Amino acid sequence: MKKILLVILAMAFIKIGYSQDYKFGKVSKKELEEQFYPLDSLANAAYLYKKRRRYVRLEARQLKLITNVHVRLKVYKKEGFNWSTININLLGQGAHTSENAYKFKAATYNLVNGVVEKTKLDKKDIFLEQKSDFLKVKKFTMPNVKEGSVLEWTYEIQSPYISNMDDILVQHKIPVKKLEEKVELLGWFNFNKRQKGYYPFKIHQSTKTNPSFQIANQVIEVLEENIPALKSEPYVNNMSNYAAALQFEVASIQAPDINMFQNFATSWEEIAKNALKSPSFGEQLNNTEHLEDDLKKLKLELTTTSAKIIAALEYVKSKIKWNGNFGQYCEKGIKKAFTEGAGNVADINLTLVAVLRELGLTAYPVLTSTRSNGIPLVPTVKGFNYVVVVVNTIEGKVLLDASEKYSLPNVLPLRALNWKGTIVSNNTNVDFVDLTSPIISNVEYNINYKIDEKGFIEGMNRKKYENLKAINYRNEKSNLDENELISTIEQDYNDIKILDFRLLNLDKISLPIIEMYKFEKEEGVEFIGDKMYFTPMLFAAINENPFKLEEREYPIDFGTPWQKKITSIIEIPKDYKIESLPEDIAVGMREELGEFIYSIKTDGNKIILQALIKINKGLVTANFYQEIKSFYKMIVDKSTEKIILTNKQHIR
Amino acid sequence: MVALLLYSTVAYTQDYNFDTSKIPEKLVKNANSIIRFENVAIDIKSQKEMIIKIEKAITIYNKLASNYEDIIIFHDKGTVIKSVKAYVYNSEGKEIKKIKKSDLNDYSASGTNLYTDNRVLYYNYVPTTYPFTIHYSYEIKTSNTAFINPWLPIESYRQSVQKSVYSLKYPSNINIRKSERNFTNYNIEVAKETNKISYKLENIAAVELEPYAPPFKNFMPNVKFGVNKFNLEGINGEANNWEEFGKWYYENLLQSTFDLPEVTKQEVKNLTENTNSPIEKAKIIYNYVQDKVRYISVQVGIGGFKPMLASEVDDLSYGDCKALSNYTKTLLDAVGVESNYTVIYGGPEKRNIDNEFLSVQGNHVILNIPTKKGDLWLECTSQKTPFADIGGFTDDRDALVITPEGGKIKHTRIYKDSENYKKISGKYVLNNEGSIKADINMISSGTQFVNHLSYEGKTEKELDKLYKEFWSNINNVTIENIAIRNNKKIGEFEESVKFGAENYGVITGERMIFPINAFNVTNNIPKRINNRKMPIEVARGFLNIDEVEVELPINYEIETISNDYEIECEFGIYKLSIEKLSESKLKYKREFLFKNGLYPKEYYDEYREFWRKIAKNDKSKIVLIKKNI
Repeated sequence: MKKILLVILAMAFIKIGYSQDYKFGKVSKKELEEQFYPLDSLANAAYLYKKRRRYVRLEARQLKLITNVHVRLKVYKKEGFNWSTININLLGQGAHTSENAYKFKAATYNLVNGVVEKTKLDKKDIFLEQKSDFLKVKKFTMPNVKEGSVLEWTYEIQSPYISNMDDILVQHKIPVKKLEEKVELLGWFNFNKRQKGYYPFKIHQSTKTNPSFQIANQVIEVLEENIPALKSEPYVNNMSNYAAALQFEVASIQAPDINMFQNFATSWEEIAKNALKSPSFGEQLNNTEHLEDDLKKLKLELTTTSAKIIAALEYVKSKIKWNGNFGQYCEKGIKKAFTEGAGNVADINLTLVAVLRELGLTAYPVLTSTRSNGIPLVPTVKGFNYVVVVVNTIEGKVLLDASEKYSLPNVLPLRALNWKGTIVSNNTNVDFVDLTSPIISNVEYNINYKIDEKGFIEGMNRKKYENLKAINYRNEKSNLDENELISTIEQDYNDIKILDFRLLNLDKISLPIIEMYKFEKEEGVEFIGDKMYFTPMLFAAINENPFKLEEREYPIDFGTPWQKKITSIIEIPKDYKIESLPEDIAVGMREELGEFIYSIKTDGNKIILQALIKINKGLVTANFYQEIKSFYKMIVDKSTEKIILTNKQHIR
Repeated sequence: MVALLLYSTVAYTQDYNFDTSKIPEKLVKNANSIIRFENVAIDIKSQKEMIIKIEKAITIYNKLASNYEDIIIFHDKGTVIKSVKAYVYNSEGKEIKKIKKSDLNDYSASGTNLYTDNRVLYYNYVPTTYPFTIHYSYEIKTSNTAFINPWLPIESYRQSVQKSVYSLKYPSNINIRKSERNFTNYNIEVAKETNKISYKLENIAAVELEPYAPPFKNFMPNVKFGVNKFNLEGINGEANNWEEFGKWYYENLLQSTFDLPEVTKQEVKNLTENTNSPIEKAKIIYNYVQDKVRYISVQVGIGGFKPMLASEVDDLSYGDCKALSNYTKTLLDAVGVESNYTVIYGGPEKRNIDNEFLSVQGNHVILNIPTKKGDLWLECTSQKTPFADIGGFTDDRDALVITPEGGKIKHTRIYKDSENYKKISGKYVLNNEGSIKADINMISSGTQFVNHLSYEGKTEKELDKLYKEFWSNINNVTIENIAIRNNKKIGEFEESVKFGAENYGVITGERMIFPINAFNVTNNIPKRINNRKMPIEVARGFLNIDEVEVELPINYEIETISNDYEIECEFGIYKLSIEKLSESKLKYKREFLFKNGLYPKEYYDEYREFWRKIAKNDKSKIVLIKKNI
């Protein structure tokens, strides 16, 4: 108790230390005069003060989660005007199960000829939009906003969803000068907390007796100052994964007053056990009657494990199509999804588990999180939003995802390739499975061509796509007709002309895709003086370094390991001789992260080029950034380097 | 009559066989979707009541046609939706799903608006296999007769139509107007009876998209309808020509909104008292508005057509295109400058208000200022555009200008190709290692003014990335300094950038090779098309001029300089010339005038060739060789 008192005293002290008054309406002249945010002069807007307090209160004989919001925001530039429009999402349908917002107060402050001018928000300019059956949105935009305005608003939300605690967002797209977040969690609930992001912040914890219920509340506070804006960087799969935040989730309920005890997620074991007991997860696995007729046929036809796996995967893919929804739990249940022919990820992949088990295999559902949902580092239920399937075979674990039409055993779509999955089984110890695929995404070019005296090039290209590259190809290109596909390639490849185009294995998803064609290119080389210049890789050359920023804070995300292989045999015109060839090179990166090999040799009037670019990891940490950047620089330099040929007739 | 209509609808359903193998091969070719039949029956009961019956069956072949899988019914307070029914059939024509009205979800259609009372009933079908057919019907009753569904039998590229029928019935006290377009190449059956007109079109094969083609609806058949007595969100109207229509519009939708407070009137009078020129006054007012307001859209009921009160905009400092244009108008009125509220279709595609066809049209509002030297046009929703410089969003098209005396159709500003300029000047220094240091200024104007307008207000990190992407032809760039200025007064957007880049010159043995033109490189050559069907349309031209000095590295001397190049044809003029200022200094000039125009399809190969030559010369190299020291 003494400690708490000390904390409170210390806080009081800090508050006194402030010259700025954060009471509602006490906007200072100094705030209005400020021309730019002192710590980030380019910020278009900044939160001067962002306060939110949440607690549970008895409201009209119903427990309600109360949220009090108070925001003071400064707009520095026109580009920051969009911060003056506020949307408040309110969930639910019906009087007792809906969230509602009350007690609106808002005003814009401007400095006009040295005088503070206040424009209040009129109630009639607050709109309530029924977005869909379960979602209402309160919307308003502040009046009289100018460059330099300070905006202030406050409101209260009452929600019947007392355990549904939104994240504390510490970092925003604009800087925050002062943040005060306070959550008083009712003692009945035990919450798991998860801190995420790269920006460090402190969590203050204490307890306090709730006056309405006479039970101890857990109090959590985040009190931070001068939080920098979250700035996006390219090649990050989901920027909000890296925003500093504190997430909550109910781990257990212990409410003797209402005779309720329940554990949700205190350990990985609990999560797995709860999932198994859930009617929309574990219990679904026993609902297999609707599959029986089809299963009888499959059982008769199949003998080997690998045949069973492939058949089951293709069977489920053909019966239930992904409706685009994620979910750790079934949306419809596997039977309904089957009859309707569509379902969410759990509907589909739990069906797959059921089918595999019926075929006598050891298959389990695996709880995972999509790349856009982030990484569940601690035991958590909210952290999961996706399900894949694992089969134990003699050769090892095989991962499957029937929600992706073009997936293969162990070749999953990009969205599912995220860290680790939790295997849901009856075992006392929970097992995890690595989802970052070791299977390499592969592209190979075989380009053989001939250059004539006029610089006309004709040749043949055979290009192979494997694994993730093939999934992407099938998703992107399978709807294009051949003419469209050809003209896209022609355009991408610097205006070559394609003849005799053939595309192999587009529908045979277990095989790599192969494009084969003859091509021609007029003026494929450059004549300068009596010399001929050309880049031997032609259209396969990497001309641009995608890593342009000087520094990087976040990991580089390739999805899976990958490689690109180029083999080229070039026949040069008879009247010409080689004057200069690029030098061979072979480099490797630290910790076997990647390698680049470029080798070129001649054989009579032929030049033989072999190049390999390889990255051995799907996710590369940011401390490798400079290395990756210079690795790419080397690749670009090398692949744009020219071969020079001299006309023999002109040799002096 | 009603019974007859009902009978014919029923007959359709029974006649149709949704087995996809029965569809003529000609229609399947190139099609992502096929409209098996569409039957639209519109019955105008009175000035204030219209019933729309829609029945449609569409076969979807792949996910590129996925937006036709959905059932989308827009509605608002003035509409009643009845008898929604939908079925899905597999490729053999067997019913696989039945959809009820309760399966559809009701959403707000607010989009980017802050608020609107428009709503949408929506159903998204998730297909398990292709092809399949979705067949639906519904009925809408509405009091809005100002908008009558047009007949657009073919909605998009790669869509075939097996049968499309449209009928419009109207009472005898109402006159209908219609605008039939692009009927010539199609065999369209038109049946005119007393108080009824109908259209039918059958077996139209899918059309493929070709780059640089004119807008789709410029060559596809369509009919638009309007009535002389209509109802718009509860307000009755009657008009037989643009003049009457404009007068109705002015009196019912505008006049009551001109309530500018006296204080503001006085304020703007004071601001403009030092000049007598109406244009100068207008400039001051335009600036005043740009500094005061921002764009926020709220559309409720008649508010979708009627601007917010000027006093409200004055108070709140925000509004949509109607509100802000109207507000600017009242300010101009206060200082004695005439201006007119102008309804237009906004967008990069130059879409005219159909002069021949009187009806409520347009999706945007700007302001017209008639002057002795011609019309000026003001875009009032942007805080960044120069005065009377509307750019590519509303240029070169017919618009409806609403004056107190009535409406008239006028054509907005046409930008000459040379007015849309981008001028790059500066220099770069190449060193012995092949690195460059560049220092350049770029000025954009006309329709190019907006190219980088959004860069204004971006953070340093964002700009760093944007410029590196803009000059993606140069690798290993390090930006040293960026300065951006919106010179609104003279309508020029100015950018100056200093940067360095390693390995711009590629060293091969004794030689260093580098492309002389560093800052304006054409990469995209229009793709090859066999047997092109559409004419070529270049909607806007431009003029780009680059003049750059190049300092050469001291250890190298020039071995070869590519020859000057010039091409002139109907598509434009391109010149690249290199001047040797000294042994160590070059200057290149790249001038490219790209002309707007419409060319017959036979010109396409030539058009490609033009771009191919430009792309090639844009990459012209200089070869340096190491000096013998």
